[in-house]
Amino acid sequence: MSTLSQYGAEQGSGVPPRQTRWQVQQRRDLLCGLMPALAVLAVVTLAPAVYLVVTSFTPLNLTLPATAWNFSDPVGNYLSLLRDRRFGNSVWVQFKLSFFTVVLQLLIGLAVAMLLNARTRFVEAVRTTFLIPMVLPPIVVAIIWKVLYTPDISPVHWFLKAIGHPMGAMITSPDYALWSIIIADVWEWFPFTMLMLLAALQMLPDEPLEAARIDGATYWQVFWFVILPLLRPAILVAGLFRLIDSIKAFPLIYILTDGGPGTVTEVTNYYAFVQAFNFSYLGFSSAITVVMVGATFFLSWLVVRMVGTEVEVE
Amino acid sequence: MTRRRGLGYGGIIALILLVMFPFLWLLQMSFKPQNDIFAFPPRLLFTPTVEHYVALWTSQFRASFWNSSLASISSTLLSLLLGVPAAYTLSRATFTGQRHIALWVLATRMAPPIAFTIPFFLAYRQLELMDTVTGLVLIYLTFNLSLVVWMMRTFFDTIPRSLEEAARIDGASTWGTFLRVVLPLSAPGVAATAIFCFLFSWNDFFYALILTRTQAMTAPVAVVNFMNYEGWEWGKIAAGGTIVMLPVVVFSVLVRKYLVRGLTAGALKG
Repeated sequence: MSTLSQYGAEQGSGVPPRQTRWQVQQRRDLLCGLMPALAVLAVVTLAPAVYLVVTSFTPLNLTLPATAWNFSDPVGNYLSLLRDRRFGNSVWVQFKLSFFTVVLQLLIGLAVAMLLNARTRFVEAVRTTFLIPMVLPPIVVAIIWKVLYTPDISPVHWFLKAIGHPMGAMITSPDYALWSIIIADVWEWFPFTMLMLLAALQMLPDEPLEAARIDGATYWQVFWFVILPLLRPAILVAGLFRLIDSIKAFPLIYILTDGGPGTVTEVTNYYAFVQAFNFSYLGFSSAITVVMVGATFFLSWLVVRMVGTEVEVE
Repeated sequence: MTRRRGLGYGGIIALILLVMFPFLWLLQMSFKPQNDIFAFPPRLLFTPTVEHYVALWTSQFRASFWNSSLASISSTLLSLLLGVPAAYTLSRATFTGQRHIALWVLATRMAPPIAFTIPFFLAYRQLELMDTVTGLVLIYLTFNLSLVVWMMRTFFDTIPRSLEEAARIDGASTWGTFLRVVLPLSAPGVAATAIFCFLFSWNDFFYALILTRTQAMTAPVAVVNFMNYEGWEWGKIAAGGTIVMLPVVVFSVLVRKYLVRGLTAGALKG
Protein backbone atom coordinates (compact mmCIF):
# COMPACT_ATOMS: atom_id res chain seq x y z
CA MET A 1 0.00 0.00 0.00
CA SER A 2 2.88 2.33 0.76
CA THR A 3 4.24 2.02 -2.78
CA LEU A 4 0.83 2.94 -4.12
CA SER A 5 0.63 6.15 -2.16
CA GLN A 6 4.16 7.04 -3.21
CA TYR A 7 3.10 6.58 -6.80
CA GLY A 8 0.41 9.13 -6.14
CA ALA A 9 2.91 11.60 -4.70
CA GLU A 10 5.24 10.98 -7.61
CA GLN A 11 2.54 11.93 -10.09
CA GLY A 12 1.92 15.24 -8.40
CA SER A 13 5.47 16.61 -8.37
CA GLY A 14 8.05 15.97 -11.06
CA VAL A 15 10.55 14.13 -8.86
CA PRO A 16 9.48 12.40 -5.64
CA PRO A 17 11.40 13.43 -2.52
CA ARG A 18 12.51 9.96 -1.49
CA GLN A 19 12.70 6.98 -3.78
CA THR A 20 13.42 3.42 -2.93
CA ARG A 21 16.26 1.77 -4.81
CA TRP A 22 13.74 -0.41 -6.56
CA GLN A 23 11.89 2.64 -7.87
CA VAL A 24 15.09 4.23 -9.13
CA GLN A 25 15.88 1.01 -10.98
CA GLN A 26 12.37 0.84 -12.42
CA ARG A 27 12.56 4.43 -13.63
CA ARG A 28 15.81 3.70 -15.38
CA ASP A 29 14.35 0.58 -17.02
CA LEU A 30 11.28 2.44 -18.18
CA LEU A 31 13.32 5.25 -19.71
CA CYS A 32 15.28 2.65 -21.68
CA GLY A 33 12.01 1.58 -23.27
CA LEU A 34 11.18 5.14 -24.22
CA MET A 35 14.49 6.09 -25.81
CA PRO A 36 14.35 4.12 -29.10
CA ALA A 37 10.92 5.51 -29.94
CA LEU A 38 11.96 9.06 -29.07
CA ALA A 39 15.13 8.74 -31.15
CA VAL A 40 13.21 7.47 -34.18
CA LEU A 41 10.47 10.05 -33.72
CA ALA A 42 13.13 12.77 -33.61
CA VAL A 43 14.71 11.49 -36.83
CA VAL A 44 11.45 11.18 -38.75
CA THR A 45 9.67 14.29 -37.45
CA LEU A 46 12.01 16.81 -35.79
CA ALA A 47 14.83 16.55 -38.34
CA PRO A 48 12.45 17.03 -41.30
CA ALA A 49 10.85 20.00 -39.52
CA VAL A 50 14.25 21.66 -39.16
CA TYR A 51 15.14 20.76 -42.75
CA LEU A 52 11.85 22.27 -43.94
CA VAL A 53 12.48 25.58 -42.16
CA VAL A 54 16.07 25.70 -43.44
CA THR A 55 14.91 24.99 -47.00
CA SER A 56 12.34 27.76 -46.75
CA PHE A 57 15.25 30.23 -46.39
CA THR A 58 16.77 29.17 -49.73
CA PRO A 59 15.49 29.65 -53.30
CA LEU A 60 15.88 25.88 -53.86
CA ASN A 61 14.84 24.78 -57.32
CA LEU A 62 15.80 21.28 -58.35
CA THR A 63 16.47 22.29 -61.94
CA LEU A 64 19.06 24.85 -60.78
CA PRO A 65 21.70 23.13 -58.59
CA ALA A 66 23.20 26.47 -57.48
CA THR A 67 20.03 27.28 -55.56
CA ALA A 68 20.67 24.60 -52.91
CA TRP A 69 22.04 25.87 -49.57
CA ASN A 70 22.03 29.41 -50.88
CA PHE A 71 21.23 31.67 -47.94
CA SER A 72 21.98 35.02 -49.62
CA ASP A 73 18.33 36.09 -49.30
CA PRO A 74 16.89 34.18 -46.34
CA VAL A 75 13.51 35.90 -46.14
CA GLY A 76 13.11 36.23 -49.92
CA ASN A 77 10.52 33.46 -50.14
CA TYR A 78 8.44 34.96 -47.34
CA LEU A 79 8.53 38.40 -48.93
CA SER A 80 7.39 37.08 -52.29
CA LEU A 81 4.70 35.14 -50.46
CA LEU A 82 3.27 38.42 -49.22
CA ARG A 83 3.12 39.76 -52.77
CA ASP A 84 1.93 36.52 -54.35
CA ARG A 85 -1.67 36.92 -55.53
CA ARG A 86 -2.04 33.20 -56.12
CA PHE A 87 -1.05 32.52 -52.51
CA GLY A 88 -3.56 35.08 -51.27
CA ASN A 89 -6.20 33.47 -53.43
CA SER A 90 -5.34 30.03 -52.05
CA VAL A 91 -5.80 31.28 -48.48
CA TRP A 92 -9.20 32.72 -49.40
CA VAL A 93 -10.24 29.45 -51.08
CA GLN A 94 -9.05 27.57 -48.02
CA PHE A 95 -11.07 29.87 -45.80
CA LYS A 96 -14.24 29.30 -47.83
CA LEU A 97 -13.71 25.54 -47.99
CA SER A 98 -12.96 25.25 -44.27
CA PHE A 99 -15.82 27.50 -43.21
CA PHE A 100 -18.54 25.78 -45.23
CA THR A 101 -17.36 22.22 -44.62
CA VAL A 102 -16.98 22.70 -40.85
CA VAL A 103 -20.32 24.46 -40.44
CA LEU A 104 -22.20 21.92 -42.56
CA GLN A 105 -20.48 18.97 -40.90
CA LEU A 106 -21.39 20.32 -37.47
CA LEU A 107 -25.02 20.95 -38.42
CA ILE A 108 -25.50 17.60 -40.16
CA GLY A 109 -23.43 15.76 -37.56
CA LEU A 110 -25.54 17.23 -34.77
CA ALA A 111 -28.82 16.45 -36.53
CA VAL A 112 -27.82 12.85 -37.21
CA ALA A 113 -26.47 12.42 -33.67
CA MET A 114 -29.80 13.62 -32.29
CA LEU A 115 -31.61 11.12 -34.53
CA LEU A 116 -29.33 8.28 -33.50
CA ASN A 117 -29.33 9.11 -29.82
CA ALA A 118 -31.89 6.45 -28.98
CA ARG A 119 -31.32 3.16 -27.26
CA THR A 120 -33.39 1.02 -29.57
CA ARG A 121 -31.96 -2.03 -31.22
CA PHE A 122 -32.60 -0.69 -34.70
CA VAL A 123 -30.59 2.47 -34.06
CA GLU A 124 -27.72 0.57 -32.43
CA ALA A 125 -27.56 -1.73 -35.46
CA VAL A 126 -27.47 0.99 -38.10
CA ARG A 127 -25.14 3.35 -36.27
CA THR A 128 -21.99 1.84 -37.77
CA THR A 129 -23.37 2.22 -41.29
CA PHE A 130 -22.82 5.94 -40.92
CA LEU A 131 -19.10 5.43 -40.42
CA ILE A 132 -18.60 4.08 -43.96
CA PRO A 133 -17.68 7.38 -45.67
CA MET A 134 -15.10 8.14 -42.98
CA VAL A 135 -13.27 4.82 -43.05
CA LEU A 136 -13.14 4.44 -46.84
CA PRO A 137 -9.73 5.26 -48.34
CA PRO A 138 -9.87 8.97 -49.28
CA ILE A 139 -8.88 8.09 -52.81
CA VAL A 140 -11.89 5.80 -53.14
CA VAL A 141 -14.17 8.56 -51.86
CA ALA A 142 -12.67 10.83 -54.51
CA ILE A 143 -13.29 8.23 -57.24
CA ILE A 144 -16.88 7.73 -56.08
CA TRP A 145 -17.56 11.45 -56.35
CA LYS A 146 -15.74 11.70 -59.65
CA VAL A 147 -18.24 9.16 -60.98
CA LEU A 148 -21.19 11.09 -59.53
CA TYR A 149 -19.92 14.37 -60.96
CA THR A 150 -19.21 13.05 -64.48
CA PRO A 151 -22.38 13.69 -66.57
CA ASP A 152 -21.79 10.75 -68.98
CA ILE A 153 -22.07 8.10 -66.29
CA SER A 154 -23.55 9.83 -63.26
CA PRO A 155 -26.92 8.62 -61.97
CA VAL A 156 -27.40 12.04 -60.37
CA HIS A 157 -27.06 13.85 -63.69
CA TRP A 158 -29.36 11.30 -65.28
CA PHE A 159 -31.96 11.87 -62.57
CA LEU A 160 -31.79 15.66 -62.92
CA LYS A 161 -32.26 15.33 -66.65
CA ALA A 162 -35.19 12.93 -66.20
CA ILE A 163 -37.04 15.39 -63.98
CA GLY A 164 -36.38 18.19 -66.44
CA HIS A 165 -33.50 20.01 -64.80
CA PRO A 166 -30.42 18.99 -66.78
CA MET A 167 -27.21 20.29 -65.30
CA GLY A 168 -23.71 20.79 -66.65
CA ALA A 169 -20.65 19.30 -64.97
CA MET A 170 -20.14 20.94 -61.59
CA ILE A 171 -16.44 20.21 -61.30
CA THR A 172 -15.51 22.15 -64.42
CA SER A 173 -17.72 25.14 -63.65
CA PRO A 174 -16.02 28.14 -61.97
CA ASP A 175 -19.20 28.80 -59.99
CA TYR A 176 -19.82 25.32 -58.67
CA ALA A 177 -16.42 23.60 -58.56
CA LEU A 178 -15.73 24.61 -54.96
CA TRP A 179 -19.21 23.49 -53.96
CA SER A 180 -18.64 20.12 -55.57
CA ILE A 181 -15.61 19.71 -53.29
CA ILE A 182 -17.54 20.96 -50.26
CA ILE A 183 -20.39 18.50 -50.83
CA ALA A 184 -18.03 15.55 -51.20
CA ASP A 185 -16.01 16.61 -48.15
CA VAL A 186 -19.12 16.99 -46.02
CA TRP A 187 -20.28 13.53 -47.07
CA GLU A 188 -16.88 12.07 -46.19
CA TRP A 189 -16.45 13.71 -42.79
CA PHE A 190 -19.84 14.41 -41.20
CA PRO A 191 -19.53 10.97 -39.52
CA PHE A 192 -16.63 12.35 -37.49
CA THR A 193 -18.59 15.24 -35.98
CA MET A 194 -21.56 12.92 -35.58
CA LEU A 195 -19.47 10.40 -33.59
CA MET A 196 -18.07 13.02 -31.27
CA LEU A 197 -21.43 14.70 -30.69
CA LEU A 198 -23.17 11.37 -30.20
CA ALA A 199 -20.61 10.43 -27.55
CA ALA A 200 -21.22 13.77 -25.84
CA LEU A 201 -25.01 13.38 -26.06
CA GLN A 202 -24.84 10.00 -24.40
CA MET A 203 -22.87 11.39 -21.50
CA LEU A 204 -25.31 14.24 -20.80
CA PRO A 205 -26.71 14.16 -17.27
CA ASP A 206 -30.39 13.23 -17.11
CA GLU A 207 -31.42 15.68 -14.36
CA PRO A 208 -31.51 18.95 -16.31
CA LEU A 209 -33.39 17.30 -19.19
CA GLU A 210 -35.93 15.77 -16.82
CA ALA A 211 -36.33 19.03 -14.93
CA ALA A 212 -36.98 20.95 -18.14
CA ARG A 213 -39.54 18.42 -19.32
CA ILE A 214 -41.35 18.42 -15.98
CA ASP A 215 -41.52 22.20 -16.20
CA GLY A 216 -43.38 21.71 -19.49
CA ALA A 217 -40.68 22.63 -21.98
CA THR A 218 -41.30 21.51 -25.56
CA TYR A 219 -38.88 19.31 -27.49
CA TRP A 220 -37.34 22.32 -29.22
CA GLN A 221 -37.06 24.31 -26.01
CA VAL A 222 -35.23 21.42 -24.34
CA PHE A 223 -32.94 21.15 -27.34
CA TRP A 224 -32.24 24.86 -27.63
CA PHE A 225 -31.92 25.85 -23.97
CA VAL A 226 -30.63 22.68 -22.30
CA ILE A 227 -28.98 20.26 -24.73
CA LEU A 228 -27.23 22.77 -26.96
CA PRO A 229 -25.50 24.70 -24.14
CA LEU A 230 -24.37 21.41 -22.59
CA LEU A 231 -22.97 20.25 -25.94
CA ARG A 232 -21.01 23.43 -26.55
CA PRO A 233 -17.57 22.08 -25.54
CA ALA A 234 -18.01 18.97 -27.71
CA ILE A 235 -19.17 21.06 -30.67
CA LEU A 236 -16.17 23.33 -30.27
CA VAL A 237 -13.67 20.48 -30.14
CA ALA A 238 -15.24 18.57 -33.03
CA GLY A 239 -15.28 21.77 -35.09
CA LEU A 240 -11.66 22.61 -34.34
CA PHE A 241 -10.52 19.09 -35.21
CA ARG A 242 -12.32 19.26 -38.53
CA LEU A 243 -10.94 22.74 -39.12
CA ILE A 244 -7.38 21.51 -38.63
CA ASP A 245 -7.94 18.52 -40.89
CA SER A 246 -9.61 20.65 -43.56
CA ILE A 247 -6.25 22.36 -44.09
CA LYS A 248 -4.88 19.01 -45.29
CA ALA A 249 -7.60 18.43 -47.93
CA PHE A 250 -5.86 16.83 -50.88
CA PRO A 251 -7.21 13.69 -52.61
CA LEU A 252 -10.65 15.16 -53.35
CA ILE A 253 -9.15 18.26 -54.96
CA TYR A 254 -6.48 16.27 -56.80
CA ILE A 255 -9.00 13.87 -58.34
CA LEU A 256 -12.06 16.07 -58.81
CA THR A 257 -10.76 19.45 -59.98
CA ASP A 258 -6.94 19.49 -59.86
CA GLY A 259 -7.24 22.92 -58.24
CA GLY A 260 -9.24 24.28 -61.14
CA PRO A 261 -10.89 25.55 -63.12
CA GLY A 262 -8.12 28.13 -63.01
CA THR A 263 -7.36 28.40 -59.32
CA VAL A 264 -10.96 28.28 -58.11
CA THR A 265 -10.41 25.24 -55.88
CA GLU A 266 -6.71 25.66 -55.21
CA VAL A 267 -6.34 25.65 -51.42
CA THR A 268 -3.03 26.54 -49.77
CA ASN A 269 -2.01 22.92 -49.27
CA TYR A 270 -2.62 22.28 -52.96
CA TYR A 271 -0.74 25.39 -54.00
CA ALA A 272 2.27 24.25 -51.96
CA PHE A 273 2.06 20.86 -53.68
CA VAL A 274 1.92 22.45 -57.14
CA GLN A 275 4.85 24.77 -56.44
CA ALA A 276 7.01 21.94 -55.10
CA PHE A 277 6.19 19.02 -57.33
CA ASN A 278 4.91 20.54 -60.56
CA PHE A 279 7.14 23.62 -60.76
CA SER A 280 10.05 22.30 -58.67
CA TYR A 281 10.19 25.46 -56.52
CA LEU A 282 10.92 23.54 -53.33
CA GLY A 283 12.29 26.53 -51.41
CA PHE A 284 9.23 28.66 -52.07
CA SER A 285 6.90 25.75 -51.36
CA SER A 286 8.69 25.15 -48.05
CA ALA A 287 7.93 28.74 -47.05
CA ILE A 288 4.23 28.22 -47.86
CA THR A 289 4.29 25.01 -45.85
CA VAL A 290 5.97 26.67 -42.86
CA VAL A 291 3.20 29.29 -42.80
CA MET A 292 0.60 26.54 -43.05
CA VAL A 293 2.17 24.49 -40.24
CA GLY A 294 2.25 27.64 -38.12
CA ALA A 295 -1.49 28.14 -38.67
CA THR A 296 -2.16 24.47 -37.89
CA PHE A 297 -0.17 24.61 -34.66
CA PHE A 298 -1.98 27.73 -33.57
CA LEU A 299 -5.30 25.93 -34.01
CA SER A 300 -3.95 22.83 -32.24
CA TRP A 301 -2.80 25.01 -29.40
CA LEU A 302 -6.37 26.27 -29.09
CA VAL A 303 -7.61 22.67 -28.88
CA VAL A 304 -5.08 21.80 -26.21
CA ARG A 305 -5.93 24.90 -24.20
CA MET A 306 -9.58 24.02 -24.30
CA VAL A 307 -9.49 20.31 -23.61
CA GLY A 308 -5.93 19.44 -22.60
CA THR A 309 -3.84 16.89 -24.45
CA GLU A 310 -6.14 14.03 -23.54
CA VAL A 311 -7.99 13.95 -26.84
CA GLU A 312 -8.58 10.62 -28.48
CA VAL A 313 -6.69 10.49 -31.74
CA GLU A 314 -9.20 8.27 -33.41
CA MET B 1 -44.42 10.87 -29.51
CA THR B 2 -45.02 7.90 -31.84
CA ARG B 3 -45.33 10.24 -34.79
CA ARG B 4 -41.98 11.73 -33.93
CA ARG B 5 -40.46 8.29 -33.63
CA GLY B 6 -41.89 7.29 -37.01
CA LEU B 7 -40.41 10.43 -38.53
CA GLY B 8 -37.11 9.61 -36.86
CA TYR B 9 -36.99 6.12 -38.38
CA GLY B 10 -37.94 7.47 -41.78
CA GLY B 11 -35.19 10.06 -41.50
CA ILE B 12 -32.63 7.47 -40.46
CA ILE B 13 -33.48 5.18 -43.36
CA ALA B 14 -33.31 8.07 -45.84
CA LEU B 15 -29.92 9.03 -44.43
CA ILE B 16 -28.61 5.47 -44.66
CA LEU B 17 -29.55 5.43 -48.32
CA LEU B 18 -27.80 8.74 -48.83
CA VAL B 19 -24.66 7.44 -47.15
CA MET B 20 -24.70 4.04 -48.82
CA PHE B 21 -25.77 5.05 -52.31
CA PRO B 22 -22.49 6.50 -53.65
CA PHE B 23 -20.57 3.59 -52.16
CA LEU B 24 -22.92 0.96 -53.63
CA TRP B 25 -22.91 2.71 -56.99
CA LEU B 26 -19.17 2.23 -57.31
CA LEU B 27 -19.52 -1.40 -56.26
CA GLN B 28 -22.15 -2.23 -58.91
CA MET B 29 -20.18 -0.33 -61.54
CA SER B 30 -17.17 -2.58 -60.99
CA PHE B 31 -19.29 -5.59 -62.06
CA LYS B 32 -20.96 -3.89 -65.02
CA PRO B 33 -20.03 -4.74 -68.62
CA GLN B 34 -18.26 -1.81 -70.27
CA ASN B 35 -21.20 -1.02 -72.62
CA ASP B 36 -23.75 -0.88 -69.82
CA ILE B 37 -21.75 1.70 -67.88
CA PHE B 38 -22.68 4.37 -70.40
CA ALA B 39 -26.27 3.14 -70.80
CA PHE B 40 -28.92 5.78 -70.47
CA PRO B 41 -30.99 5.54 -68.31
CA PRO B 42 -28.60 3.67 -65.96
CA ARG B 43 -29.24 -0.06 -66.15
CA LEU B 44 -29.72 -1.62 -62.74
CA LEU B 45 -30.32 -5.10 -64.11
CA PHE B 46 -27.30 -6.39 -65.97
CA THR B 47 -25.29 -9.56 -66.29
CA PRO B 48 -22.50 -9.11 -63.75
CA THR B 49 -19.00 -9.63 -65.07
CA VAL B 50 -15.61 -9.94 -63.45
CA GLU B 51 -13.79 -8.82 -66.61
CA HIS B 52 -12.59 -5.59 -64.98
CA TYR B 53 -11.13 -7.47 -62.05
CA VAL B 54 -9.42 -9.98 -64.30
CA ALA B 55 -7.99 -7.19 -66.45
CA LEU B 56 -6.69 -5.45 -63.34
CA TRP B 57 -5.20 -8.49 -61.73
CA THR B 58 -3.26 -9.41 -64.87
CA SER B 59 -1.82 -5.88 -65.13
CA GLN B 60 0.75 -3.89 -63.17
CA PHE B 61 -1.92 -3.28 -60.57
CA ARG B 62 -1.18 -6.57 -58.83
CA ALA B 63 2.37 -5.50 -58.02
CA SER B 64 1.10 -2.23 -56.54
CA PHE B 65 -1.34 -4.16 -54.37
CA TRP B 66 1.59 -6.13 -52.89
CA ASN B 67 3.60 -2.95 -52.45
CA SER B 68 0.73 -1.45 -50.47
CA SER B 69 0.44 -4.57 -48.31
CA LEU B 70 4.16 -4.80 -47.69
CA ALA B 71 4.55 -1.12 -46.81
CA SER B 72 1.51 -1.09 -44.53
CA ILE B 73 2.35 -4.29 -42.68
CA SER B 74 6.04 -3.43 -42.21
CA SER B 75 5.25 0.04 -40.98
CA THR B 76 2.65 -1.31 -38.56
CA LEU B 77 5.03 -3.88 -37.08
CA LEU B 78 7.88 -1.39 -36.77
CA SER B 79 5.64 1.20 -35.12
CA LEU B 80 4.35 -1.34 -32.61
CA LEU B 81 7.86 -2.56 -31.80
CA LEU B 82 9.05 0.98 -31.05
CA GLY B 83 5.84 2.56 -29.82
CA VAL B 84 4.40 -0.01 -27.41
CA PRO B 85 7.30 0.10 -24.87
CA ALA B 86 7.36 3.90 -25.15
CA ALA B 87 3.63 4.09 -24.45
CA TYR B 88 4.10 1.87 -21.40
CA THR B 89 6.83 4.16 -20.08
CA LEU B 90 4.66 7.24 -20.60
CA SER B 91 1.82 5.49 -18.79
CA ARG B 92 3.90 4.39 -15.78
CA ALA B 93 6.79 6.78 -15.18
CA THR B 94 6.72 10.49 -14.54
CA PHE B 95 9.59 12.70 -15.52
CA THR B 96 10.17 16.27 -16.51
CA GLY B 97 9.34 17.04 -20.11
CA GLN B 98 6.61 14.42 -20.32
CA ARG B 99 4.05 17.04 -21.25
CA HIS B 100 6.31 18.24 -24.03
CA ILE B 101 6.49 14.75 -25.48
CA ALA B 102 2.70 14.51 -25.43
CA LEU B 103 2.45 17.85 -27.24
CA TRP B 104 5.07 16.83 -29.76
CA VAL B 105 3.18 13.63 -30.52
CA LEU B 106 -0.02 15.62 -30.95
CA ALA B 107 1.76 18.14 -33.19
CA THR B 108 2.93 15.42 -35.59
CA ARG B 109 -0.66 14.24 -35.89
CA MET B 110 -1.86 17.76 -36.71
CA ALA B 111 0.85 18.80 -39.19
CA PRO B 112 -0.12 18.69 -42.87
CA PRO B 113 1.61 15.83 -44.72
CA ILE B 114 3.37 18.15 -47.14
CA ALA B 115 5.46 19.42 -44.22
CA PHE B 116 7.10 15.98 -44.07
CA THR B 117 6.96 15.27 -47.77
CA ILE B 118 9.27 18.07 -48.91
CA PRO B 119 12.19 17.20 -46.57
CA PHE B 120 11.74 13.44 -47.10
CA PHE B 121 11.64 13.97 -50.85
CA LEU B 122 14.89 15.95 -50.75
CA ALA B 123 16.58 13.48 -48.40
CA TYR B 124 15.44 10.40 -50.35
CA ARG B 125 16.98 11.75 -53.53
CA GLN B 126 20.34 11.75 -51.75
CA LEU B 127 19.83 8.48 -49.87
CA GLU B 128 18.51 6.63 -52.93
CA LEU B 129 15.29 5.82 -51.10
CA MET B 130 13.04 7.29 -53.79
CA ASP B 131 10.58 4.77 -55.18
CA THR B 132 11.33 2.13 -52.54
CA VAL B 133 9.01 0.40 -50.09
CA THR B 134 11.58 1.11 -47.35
CA GLY B 135 11.15 4.81 -48.01
CA LEU B 136 7.38 4.50 -47.59
CA VAL B 137 7.73 2.48 -44.38
CA LEU B 138 9.95 5.21 -42.92
CA ILE B 139 7.63 8.09 -43.75
CA TYR B 140 4.61 6.15 -42.49
CA LEU B 141 6.34 6.12 -39.11
CA THR B 142 5.64 9.86 -38.86
CA PHE B 143 1.97 9.19 -38.23
CA ASN B 144 1.96 5.56 -37.08
CA LEU B 145 4.47 5.95 -34.25
CA SER B 146 2.52 8.82 -32.70
CA LEU B 147 -0.69 6.87 -33.16
CA VAL B 148 0.73 3.83 -31.33
CA VAL B 149 2.10 5.91 -28.46
CA TRP B 150 -1.17 7.79 -28.12
CA MET B 151 -3.55 4.85 -28.30
CA MET B 152 -1.50 2.34 -26.31
CA ARG B 153 -0.90 4.76 -23.47
CA THR B 154 -4.62 5.02 -22.84
CA PHE B 155 -4.89 1.22 -22.90
CA PHE B 156 -2.05 0.82 -20.41
CA ASP B 157 -3.59 3.46 -18.17
CA THR B 158 -6.61 1.20 -17.70
CA ILE B 159 -4.52 -1.73 -16.41
CA PRO B 160 -4.19 -1.58 -12.63
CA ARG B 161 -0.67 -1.28 -11.26
CA SER B 162 -1.33 -3.68 -8.39
CA LEU B 163 -0.87 -6.59 -10.83
CA GLU B 164 2.62 -5.44 -11.76
CA GLU B 165 3.55 -4.88 -8.15
CA ALA B 166 2.55 -8.44 -7.34
CA ALA B 167 4.77 -9.72 -10.14
CA ARG B 168 7.59 -7.44 -9.03
CA ILE B 169 7.44 -8.78 -5.48
CA ASP B 170 7.88 -12.23 -6.99
CA GLY B 171 11.17 -10.95 -8.41
CA ALA B 172 10.31 -10.20 -12.05
CA SER B 173 12.14 -7.36 -13.81
CA THR B 174 10.36 -4.27 -15.13
CA TRP B 175 10.21 -5.42 -18.73
CA GLY B 176 9.71 -9.07 -17.74
CA THR B 177 6.58 -7.97 -15.89
CA PHE B 178 5.56 -5.96 -18.90
CA LEU B 179 5.91 -8.89 -21.28
CA ARG B 180 4.29 -11.49 -19.05
CA VAL B 181 1.60 -9.51 -17.25
CA VAL B 182 0.78 -6.20 -18.91
CA LEU B 183 1.09 -7.06 -22.60
CA PRO B 184 -1.20 -10.13 -22.53
CA LEU B 185 -3.84 -8.06 -20.74
CA SER B 186 -3.65 -5.34 -23.37
CA ALA B 187 -3.68 -7.70 -26.38
CA PRO B 188 -7.04 -6.37 -27.65
CA GLY B 189 -5.62 -2.87 -27.44
CA VAL B 190 -2.55 -3.87 -29.42
CA ALA B 191 -4.76 -5.52 -32.04
CA ALA B 192 -6.97 -2.45 -32.39
CA THR B 193 -3.93 -0.17 -32.62
CA ALA B 194 -2.29 -2.43 -35.20
CA ILE B 195 -5.41 -2.34 -37.36
CA PHE B 196 -5.57 1.43 -37.16
CA CYS B 197 -1.89 1.69 -38.18
CA PHE B 198 -2.50 -0.63 -41.07
CA LEU B 199 -5.54 1.33 -42.24
CA PHE B 200 -3.82 4.71 -42.10
CA SER B 201 -0.85 3.39 -44.09
CA TRP B 202 -3.09 1.59 -46.53
CA ASN B 203 -5.23 4.70 -47.08
CA ASP B 204 -2.22 6.91 -47.72
CA PHE B 205 -2.22 8.54 -51.11
CA PHE B 206 -0.21 11.72 -50.82
CA TYR B 207 3.13 10.29 -49.65
CA ALA B 208 3.04 7.45 -52.16
CA LEU B 209 2.11 9.83 -54.96
CA ILE B 210 5.25 11.86 -54.41
CA LEU B 211 7.77 9.35 -53.10
CA THR B 212 7.14 6.51 -55.55
CA ARG B 213 7.34 6.25 -59.32
CA THR B 214 6.99 2.72 -60.71
CA GLN B 215 8.81 0.17 -58.56
CA ALA B 216 7.15 0.92 -55.23
CA MET B 217 3.88 2.38 -56.49
CA THR B 218 1.01 1.61 -54.12
CA ALA B 219 -2.52 0.55 -55.04
CA PRO B 220 -4.22 3.95 -54.49
CA VAL B 221 -1.69 5.63 -56.80
CA ALA B 222 -2.07 2.88 -59.38
CA VAL B 223 -5.85 3.35 -59.47
CA VAL B 224 -5.43 7.06 -60.06
CA ASN B 225 -3.00 6.33 -62.86
CA PHE B 226 -5.77 4.43 -64.62
CA MET B 227 -7.74 7.66 -64.63
CA ASN B 228 -4.94 9.64 -66.19
CA TYR B 229 -3.40 7.32 -68.73
CA GLU B 230 -5.83 4.64 -69.72
CA GLY B 231 -8.57 6.82 -71.16
CA TRP B 232 -11.32 6.64 -68.59
CA GLU B 233 -11.89 2.95 -68.28
CA TRP B 234 -14.56 3.38 -65.66
CA GLY B 235 -15.07 -0.32 -65.10
CA LYS B 236 -11.41 -0.82 -64.27
CA ILE B 237 -11.32 2.29 -62.12
CA ALA B 238 -14.35 1.08 -60.16
CA ALA B 239 -12.84 -2.39 -59.78
CA GLY B 240 -9.54 -0.89 -58.60
CA GLY B 241 -11.35 1.32 -56.10
CA THR B 242 -13.27 -1.69 -54.82
CA ILE B 243 -10.09 -3.72 -54.34
CA VAL B 244 -8.46 -0.82 -52.50
CA MET B 245 -11.40 -0.46 -50.12
CA LEU B 246 -11.85 -4.18 -49.52
CA PRO B 247 -9.26 -4.58 -46.72
CA VAL B 248 -10.50 -1.36 -45.15
CA VAL B 249 -14.09 -2.56 -44.97
CA VAL B 250 -13.02 -5.94 -43.57
CA PHE B 251 -10.75 -4.43 -40.93
CA SER B 252 -13.26 -1.77 -39.93
CA VAL B 253 -15.70 -4.47 -38.98
CA LEU B 254 -12.96 -6.17 -36.97
CA VAL B 255 -11.68 -3.05 -35.26
CA ARG B 256 -15.11 -2.23 -33.90
CA LYS B 257 -15.23 -5.49 -31.99
CA TYR B 258 -11.65 -5.19 -30.77
CA LEU B 259 -12.11 -1.64 -29.62
CA VAL B 260 -15.14 -2.47 -27.53
CA ARG B 261 -13.44 -5.57 -26.16
CA GLY B 262 -10.23 -3.72 -25.48
CA LEU B 263 -11.95 -1.00 -23.51
CA THR B 264 -14.17 -3.32 -21.49
CA ALA B 265 -11.33 -5.79 -20.82
CA GLY B 266 -9.27 -3.05 -19.22
CA ALA B 267 -12.19 -1.82 -17.16
CA LEU B 268 -13.34 -5.24 -16.03
CA LYS B 269 -9.90 -6.47 -14.99
CA GLY B 270 -9.47 -3.36 -12.86
